[in-house]
Amino acid sequence: MIEFSCPSCSKKYRVKDDVAGKKARCKECGAPMPVPDVAAATSEAAAGMDAGSSEVLTGSTPHFDYEISQRPDFALISINLEEGQKIFAEPSAMASMTPTVTLKAGFKGGLGKTLGRALGGESMIINTFTADNGPGEVTFAAGATGDAARYTLTGNSLMLQRGAFMLHSEGVEVSGKWQGAKGFFNGEGLVLLKASGDGEIFFNSYGAILSVDVTEEYIVDTGYVVAFEDTLNYNISVLPGLRGGSKLKTLFFGGEGLVCRFSGQGKVWIQTRHVQSFLSWANPYRPSTSR
Amino acid sequence: MKHQILSRPAASVAKLKMDDGESLTCEVGAMIAMTTGFEVETTTRKKGAKGGGLGKALKRMFAGESLFLNHFTATNNGQSLIIGPRMLGDVLHFPLTGGSLIVQGSSWMASDTDIEIDATWQGFGKALFSGESIFWLKCSGEGDLFLSSFGAIYEVEVDGEHVVDTGHIVAFEDTLQFNVTKAGTSLIGSFLGGEGLVCRFSGHGRLFCQSHNPPGFGKALGPKLKPR
Repeated sequence: MIEFSCPSCSKKYRVKDDVAGKKARCKECGAPMPVPDVAAATSEAAAGMDAGSSEVLTGSTPHFDYEISQRPDFALISINLEEGQKIFAEPSAMASMTPTVTLKAGFKGGLGKTLGRALGGESMIINTFTADNGPGEVTFAAGATGDAARYTLTGNSLMLQRGAFMLHSEGVEVSGKWQGAKGFFNGEGLVLLKASGDGEIFFNSYGAILSVDVTEEYIVDTGYVVAFEDTLNYNISVLPGLRGGSKLKTLFFGGEGLVCRFSGQGKVWIQTRHVQSFLSWANPYRPSTSR
Repeated sequence: MKHQILSRPAASVAKLKMDDGESLTCEVGAMIAMTTGFEVETTTRKKGAKGGGLGKALKRMFAGESLFLNHFTATNNGQSLIIGPRMLGDVLHFPLTGGSLIVQGSSWMASDTDIEIDATWQGFGKALFSGESIFWLKCSGEGDLFLSSFGAIYEVEVDGEHVVDTGHIVAFEDTLQFNVTKAGTSLIGSFLGGEGLVCRFSGHGRLFCQSHNPPGFGKALGPKLKPR
């Protein structure tokens, strides 16, 4: 949509993008007026910021080809496997697959890692999809409506928020990581998942995913953290810059809860909605127990 | 203050670039992420105002907003703040230029600290009488206003008369006159028809509506949830 106003009587108009650059006549005063270009109308918005986009993400990796479509609200991941290639997925994430693909459910990575994943809010079981009988395609979608993103691990690690993990390729290990007292108060789960190795990992969110390159310090509400590179240090704290004595006020009355303060160099992925805050909205609509 | 609305329309957030001294008053819980150069203050009143805060805060609570407000003030140039609503839906930026905008209580997300937010406005009684817990805030002054919706936001240029279900109103310019009435000709008929109460606007002005009605969704969802 392009927003502009009539140059003579300043009546405001909103028109579709495809009439950009055309001449029109004002409905109010009859004066001729040119419709501005899309570029001119949105130049302010484009001033040096990255947009959370609806772009389809495609690519090929040594393990498979992928496509993430229907972003950012209903992300659907399609994985194209050549014969013999594999993908590992969280149970119930699979939406469809070609008959050439076989599914095997199982524990992966030994008992310790399996329990770690369970603590991280993920299932103990990891499903393995193998293109046993020729090339095939598997599509995946997350439980909640939202976005999905991909990350390539090259010997480093990625930390994932509880429930964010979806798929990984061969060469990647996913395990739970105890956060100790750091995670104790945040109510978002005591354990982060840690993905490491060499390969691809896909994760999902509730709402859209925005990525932020942290160069010094950055603050994210704990409920909105999806994933971050382990080159970043982090600390759970209350909102900064408060005078003594007012810290608790912002924490308990300010409703912002706890924040994750990142420092160092690395990437953070944040989601634009929070399931918990939707649930607290829905809570008053629950029926009351009849006694 | 520069702004950009990202990831529209269902998962919209507002990303703000703020310079030293610029400040924004937000709904509690709206902050998603930010750079470190902000001072955050929680009050029950307009930033910097003295006295009379609690009364207004209580009225704000009745208007579906939290008792408390968070004020974010940049203490450095080039600071960035991301804020978002609770529900799936869009974010609308409305530049106030001296006039007033009437905002449905739960649609208000953030505004320039200079903007006066008032729930004590005379239309209050009219809204109260409707029985549908619609409470409106009157925002006046100059600056940026950020509103949220459940579903998409669409704009209607009212010239003459327009009728909107009370649950679908996001905001409207106060140049419009309005009347809360029943939708049908008989009271029973309009409730059986499921339309409840409507707002009948007249005059000239802009009206912003949301495609979905939050209480409507809540009522559809409620019976399927575990009892409290």
